[in-house]
Amino acid sequence: MSNAIELDRVTWQAGKSFALKDLSLRVPMGSIYGFLGPNGSGKTTTIRLFMGMIRPRSGSIQVLDGTVPGDLPRVLARVGYVPERPHVYPGLTVGEALKYHSAFYPLWDEHWARELLDRLGLDAGRKIARMSKGENGKLLMLLALSQRPELLVLDEPTDGLDPVVRRDVMTAVLDYGSETGATIFISSHLVHELERICDWVGVLDDGELVAELPMQSFKNGIKRLRVQNAPALMPDAPFVLLSRQPSDGIVQGETWTVRGWQDPMRQYFEGIGAQVRDVIDLDLEEGFVELLRSSRPNNHRN
Amino acid sequence: MATQILLLHWKAVRIGLIPFVVAAFALPLIAVQGLGTTGGGALSLDAYRAVAAFQIFMPLFPLLAAAVGATLALSAWNWDHQQGHVYALSLPLRRWEYSLLKLGAGVVLALIPTGALLTGSLLATASVDLPTGLNAYPLDLTLRFLFASLLAYGVLFALASGTTKTATIVLTSLIVLPLVAEGMLGFMANFFPSIDQVSVVEEVFRAIWESPGPLRVFFGNWMLIDV
Repeated sequence: MSNAIELDRVTWQAGKSFALKDLSLRVPMGSIYGFLGPNGSGKTTTIRLFMGMIRPRSGSIQVLDGTVPGDLPRVLARVGYVPERPHVYPGLTVGEALKYHSAFYPLWDEHWARELLDRLGLDAGRKIARMSKGENGKLLMLLALSQRPELLVLDEPTDGLDPVVRRDVMTAVLDYGSETGATIFISSHLVHELERICDWVGVLDDGELVAELPMQSFKNGIKRLRVQNAPALMPDAPFVLLSRQPSDGIVQGETWTVRGWQDPMRQYFEGIGAQVRDVIDLDLEEGFVELLRSSRPNNHRN
Repeated sequence: MATQILLLHWKAVRIGLIPFVVAAFALPLIAVQGLGTTGGGALSLDAYRAVAAFQIFMPLFPLLAAAVGATLALSAWNWDHQQGHVYALSLPLRRWEYSLLKLGAGVVLALIPTGALLTGSLLATASVDLPTGLNAYPLDLTLRFLFASLLAYGVLFALASGTTKTATIVLTSLIVLPLVAEGMLGFMANFFPSIDQVSVVEEVFRAIWESPGPLRVFFGNWMLIDV
């Protein structure tokens, strides 16, 4: 499968405090890719890198088979972008913004833009400076979708929107994705929102990609185990041990959080003289939190 | 694309530009109105009075040109700065193409006050009977105005396109570097007395403001009526 976005060992530094370190990322063509990470982890910076807004110190970036920044105009003509904050000129009306935006995109679908305008309940004569956050969010989505992009990049698209607007916006995105087969890249820290819609997930923390895998594997693979008689050392474990907490006196045995779990792995514990008493499913949010905990340098596994 | 960028610039600048358009139209008319009238309603002037009267208004024309250039330049980037340039950078254009289209839009818009000045100048010169020995130069004044406003626009457009930090560095360097060089030369003059004759600040000032310096146009002859 080819990739819509491919970052290879990309490094970027902002002052002394924040850096993306050797970031490699692959977004499969046609996927809905959820890009998760806490605030300040580097999600927006990553997006700005592959959108060509900032230049990496090293590494290579490919988007829709074009090199960034080398083929940038050709690439950006096929990418719909909804940034974190409204970015359209506030002095324009909705209608003027549509006209302005359409001039830059050869695949602009005027008919569909009008249809979306009605569907999202936007007024073409309304000045952008006077619009609410929700209306701005809808406008940005309208502009991005009317370009008929092959890749839709959404940076926290529903952050701060009320539930009704959020539903409208996400419905429009999903309809577009299923209708056209476009790749959708959604960055968010709202884990539960991505859980329902994404088929791939990448987790970024402090500028490093902690995990990148199909959503199903992510959801199914992260488990909490109750383990009795566990030895101090774990030779050749077939899973990734994310955290390990001793018995708290109420629950018998240790509590482990593991990634890449499959049921036949119980045999491994028998082999080292331990027993798995319970295997507990974690939802994506719990899995995400455990993953972040385990990736941080001050994490105590024992 | 170019049309949309032009319309965008117009929308961003119109409130600031319209007073200058009115001023460009009115200034030549006001300049000749102050001279008084004689029989038949037409102005009848002697050469000395005409030139002296117009000289009072002369400094206002380069000031107006500079104001037009500055207004166009600042408005060109104002909305982009407000939005952190995110929208502009997400458009499928190379940065130099976008900048060039923006620059071009400002050049086109500079023709509006220029046209107003030409119209005002033609009307003003048509309304006076020039005494022998004097001529009207509406076209020369207009071209000088256009050149000066484009020059101001170009310089400020380049400065305004960057961050405040960059603009501060450039402007500070322009002031500080000649002063530092002057200080160094002053020190070296202790060992090489012939250097004492050179003033870097003066030389830089001359190079910029005096002929054939780039900003000379602002100090040239801005007369609508002259010998």
